[in-house]
Amino acid sequence: MGDSTNRILQRLIRRIPYQMLQTMFGKWAHLSREDLHSLDFTQPKWVLTEHLLALCEEKGLTVKHITELEMIYIIENPNQGMWHGFQLLDAEEDAPSIELTQFKEQFKANLTELISHVSIKIKKHTDEAIWIRVAWGDNFTKPYHLKPTYVVHHLQTPYVFVTGVTSKHKPLLNQALVLATRYGSMKDAHLSGRNLTAIRDLLMRQYQQVFPTKHPKPLQEKNPVPRNPNIEKEQAENTENRLQMACEAFGDGTLPQMQKAVYKLETKFRDNSNKTLTGREEPFRGVVEFASTNLLESLRHCVSSGMASTPVTPLLSSITQKGRNYFVITDKGV
Amino acid sequence: MSLLKPFSKLPGLNTANILLVENEEQFQQKLADTVVLQEKTVNVNVRLARSLPLPMENEESRPRIDLVVFIIHLTSELSFQSAETSLKYLDPGYFQGKVCFLVTNARNVSVPPERLVSVRKLAASLHCPLLCAEDQTTEGVTTAAHRLLAILKVAAGLVPMATGLYLSTLTRCTVPSDIDQQNFE
Repeated sequence: MGDSTNRILQRLIRRIPYQMLQTMFGKWAHLSREDLHSLDFTQPKWVLTEHLLALCEEKGLTVKHITELEMIYIIENPNQGMWHGFQLLDAEEDAPSIELTQFKEQFKANLTELISHVSIKIKKHTDEAIWIRVAWGDNFTKPYHLKPTYVVHHLQTPYVFVTGVTSKHKPLLNQALVLATRYGSMKDAHLSGRNLTAIRDLLMRQYQQVFPTKHPKPLQEKNPVPRNPNIEKEQAENTENRLQMACEAFGDGTLPQMQKAVYKLETKFRDNSNKTLTGREEPFRGVVEFASTNLLESLRHCVSSGMASTPVTPLLSSITQKGRNYFVITDKGV
Repeated sequence: MSLLKPFSKLPGLNTANILLVENEEQFQQKLADTVVLQEKTVNVNVRLARSLPLPMENEESRPRIDLVVFIIHLTSELSFQSAETSLKYLDPGYFQGKVCFLVTNARNVSVPPERLVSVRKLAASLHCPLLCAEDQTTEGVTTAAHRLLAILKVAAGLVPMATGLYLSTLTRCTVPSDIDQQNFE
């Protein structure tokens, strides 16, 4: 194995936490049972890495096999790095009937046509998602495996999730994806986050939604707390209404874990007490950022507890209704 | 204006009713549970509200409220403002010993001292007692419940020889004249 291959393997092992190593190797097809037994998982990691390097050298494993291990690790732990959502537009007639082999061939062909030196690996996960790993090179150098791009696409949906792509390679990736999926174009969905499952659930509306009803009934609690007959709430209807509106805007149960919502303001300054800034022609540029460990949960609590006024402002509810977390607000609207 | 009136309904036998008004609706639930558990001899009913005025639909079923407690969290300006606006919906008869102010986070360093001063001035101008409570621990909640029960029983007329008005002259909040010059050097 070459020097660079050794380095890639070392970096990868360093990245994988010790507890997960054994399961990862188990899933990797290139180490047999005897090999796994021969590796001692009680030793310090660097000793284990040395043994592994020797083992791989013996078996003549190449970069291709190591990247498989990396892909297995990333598929198991997708919630690292920054994922960005994209939406495909203008479906052509045969877009809904694309199937896996066709997509794979088309994508590989397109991308290798655009850049000759790329390393592409496509894998279909159990939950119908296609994972693509791309390592980029250019016309003169071999693909650089230490900064790969990962793409997740669910066939028959117009959504694509990408992480780790530079602005240089983004148009090439876009073009290859658009051609392979038989759509007209791809646009930025303005949705990004660290948690892939969260942004996927948000964009594809896979969380528990609450729909407005004509005959509002209070949301039934799953384990109703036995109410003390001596304690009575005076404004219970208001509380129920607020909870209903909060859940309509943001969903019920466990919500996708978003971390940030960014609102970029390009509106004119409007505060009569400040004479220097009001009345200027050019817009007042500002950025409002909401950050939290679980943003949607916090916003839902704000609304249901009355901190935010109801009905829920469309600025906040568009996070879930439109599935985005980056908004540019101008005077004409969002 | 729909004022809450203190003497428009008949009292129940061996019953005391307390109304807890709190904008955030957090502390009142804990307090309500503790109050109901602590009191064994008297039948205590707790009504919880976010602000006044109270909804008209409950007018019939609502018993006579003996004590109205305004819970103000000093960490939030909104809490104080909401309590102030709710005061307008109380009949003046309540201010003779049937209203009490309860503040939390009075010892909190991040709270601006002016807020406590304004609450004290408000309580003093209305001749009402001002209690400080600690809402994060169970002992704090129990202590607050205990003190509220003591005032409630007097306000409901269940303590012989004591009336709400009498008690309030002893417990009402006073503001020293130099409170605005107070500093902690």
